[in-house]
Amino acid sequence: MATAPNPEAGQARSWRQNRKLDQWIAFWSVPFFFTLFGLVFVPLSWMMPPRSPSSTTPLIVDFMRSHNLLVACVILTLAFGLAPVSYSCYLIQIRRMSVSPAFRYSMMIGAITGAIVGMLFPMFCFGLGAFRPGYSPAVLTMLYDFGYLAFIGSLGCFCVMWMAFGLAILLDQNNILPKWLGYYTVWQYVTELMAAPVWIAKSGPFAWNGLLTFWFAMTLYVSWQFIVYLCIYRAIKNQPEAELDNARPELQPAALDNGSRMGA
Amino acid sequence: MNDRGQRILLWTAPPAVALFALAYLLFPVFSPPLSPTLTPDQVAAFFRSNVTGVLGVAILCNLIACSLVPLFAVTAVQISRTASSSPVLTYAYIICVGVGTTAFILADYCWGMAAFRPDRDPQLTSLLNDMAWFFFIAPVGTIMVQNLCFALSVYLDERRDPIFPRWVAHFNVATVALLAPSAFSILYKSGPLAFNGALSFTLRLTTFAVYIAVMFWALLRAVKHQGHDRVALA
Repeated sequence: MATAPNPEAGQARSWRQNRKLDQWIAFWSVPFFFTLFGLVFVPLSWMMPPRSPSSTTPLIVDFMRSHNLLVACVILTLAFGLAPVSYSCYLIQIRRMSVSPAFRYSMMIGAITGAIVGMLFPMFCFGLGAFRPGYSPAVLTMLYDFGYLAFIGSLGCFCVMWMAFGLAILLDQNNILPKWLGYYTVWQYVTELMAAPVWIAKSGPFAWNGLLTFWFAMTLYVSWQFIVYLCIYRAIKNQPEAELDNARPELQPAALDNGSRMGA
Repeated sequence: MNDRGQRILLWTAPPAVALFALAYLLFPVFSPPLSPTLTPDQVAAFFRSNVTGVLGVAILCNLIACSLVPLFAVTAVQISRTASSSPVLTYAYIICVGVGTTAFILADYCWGMAAFRPDRDPQLTSLLNDMAWFFFIAPVGTIMVQNLCFALSVYLDERRDPIFPRWVAHFNVATVALLAPSAFSILYKSGPLAFNGALSFTLRLTTFAVYIAVMFWALLRAVKHQGHDRVALA
């Protein structure tokens, strides 16, 4: 049981006694997931950086039949359940803010819709081509287009997530996350909308492998994501133990109304 | 009074399970499960001669696809009652349920599409069938994380009188190991790991059936003992 009323003893306790163990486990699954995600899409399958939308049919067919796409698919199907955990790390911080629950519910719904359309479906498009190499070039090129467009062109669900996240930070009066992160987030997601023309352009800066839609947007996104998780790390670390849901569980079995959610 | 509502939701699970069992027994694609080694022409011929069976079950599953969601929702409520520092596991659980159910619906649509116009180019019918199998068998990542979240919430529960017995958590961890082989169905065309194989198909569906039965029992027990304990699903 929890026998640590003294906050000074925080550092000395073993990890098992850590009062925020659930949050830390969830948090540390994030770098693990993003590392796997990066490995799957870059060195394993070479789906990223994206191939050209105007590449020739033999090149597309050749790529769509590579066995590594299947291995990438397997790793992703095993690991994609960690994406919800990474989003939950945002959600628990929004819950501490003095904003309406509508913000975290918007994010949650965005996360549910985004996981299939932006991750599992495009990965399966690539896997299906490699699964049965007998498919005609017409089918393989369709899967190629569908895979890349769904992966790079799915914007709406993520947009609503980042919008809710950015607005929640800006409106929050509990200063859970820094205000500059709110402005940074709004700027980041507005810039991401630049990827909309991937559905039209087949070459140039606005194609799905273009300088603006891919390279610029990806650089912005990855650095932003990294900074967000650093801020979330600090937010978890700085949350006072008295505010935790399990503070004195024997008195508050349902862990309610412990002052950390005055806004709601 | 929140236990009455939860009990009503829980008792929607047995009829849902009965309907899923019916769908399973009637589905021509599963009796026996189609082999991944069939050529596009053979797959097209199969769908041409089983239009009624495939479409009927696709329609039934379209109706009942989300019918286990209430069971998962009650699970989420009970996870949120366990005393840990935040609702992070509850949130992750809910998102996983949404994602996993969507994958199931997509599988159902692909089989329905294959039977809707069976005279389509065999390449396309075969593609729809493969896609259906991919979505039906392979994406175990969400239910694995879902069950790990549940297990963690039980292990981390600091209540003197825990909501779930610990063996339910051990059982959930075991299901994770038993479901994992299905992901490898993408790599094999024959043997136990192929999508019609003993590990990817039979073990996965058996594990899921036992899992639903165990969770149903554990949730009934948890809801019964909840009494007037307040609950907040954040």
